[in-house]
Amino acid sequence: MGCSVLDHCVTQEAESTDVPPSLLASGLLALKFPIILLTMTKLLEWVFGVSVIGAAWALVTFDLLNLRLPVAYKEVAWPMPVYLLVVFGCYSLATVGYRVATFNDCEEASKELQDQIKEAKEDLRKKGLKM
Amino acid sequence: MATGADQAVGMGLVGFSLLLFTYYTIWVIILPFVDSDHVAHQYFLQREYSVILPGIAALILLLSVAHSGGIEYSHMPQS
Repeated sequence: MGCSVLDHCVTQEAESTDVPPSLLASGLLALKFPIILLTMTKLLEWVFGVSVIGAAWALVTFDLLNLRLPVAYKEVAWPMPVYLLVVFGCYSLATVGYRVATFNDCEEASKELQDQIKEAKEDLRKKGLKM
Repeated sequence: MATGADQAVGMGLVGFSLLLFTYYTIWVIILPFVDSDHVAHQYFLQREYSVILPGIAALILLLSVAHSGGIEYSHMPQS
């Protein structure tokens, strides 16, 4: 009835008995998003966050949207990943250095440990171990 | 507080990392907003080196760690 083109007839027949494939696909896709949100693991959160930040960086560096930002902003943006790594490295170094400088000497614990070592050596010597 | 050499080394590390952070921050973030005929530009290399030099440093660090690991574990029998 009213079929003018052959393939139009075929789709008419399919729609009368089945869920059309495009509707099925979009329905499955609509179900996936809440499932992903409900079972969001820490890894997924990190991946999502990093990819959002990475997309923003790529937008500015490679001018993907043709925003025509001032040259200075592009100059600041493109070394950003390396800059963040260097800053993280500096922070780690400073933290380690500070904790080395402020770590308390433990005089009593050192003496106690050396006494225990001496005691253990004596004990082993008595039991026949050649030192 | 820790004594003598520990304090010196620790505070040296803190000072060095502060210097490095300041120099690198000025190089990457502040210089693009400074006029190109300002005198400050002569104290910094070109921008490409701000990515290349940390890359080389990271490579050297990785190689030395791998080298030390190789030396430490070379005495173990091949499993």
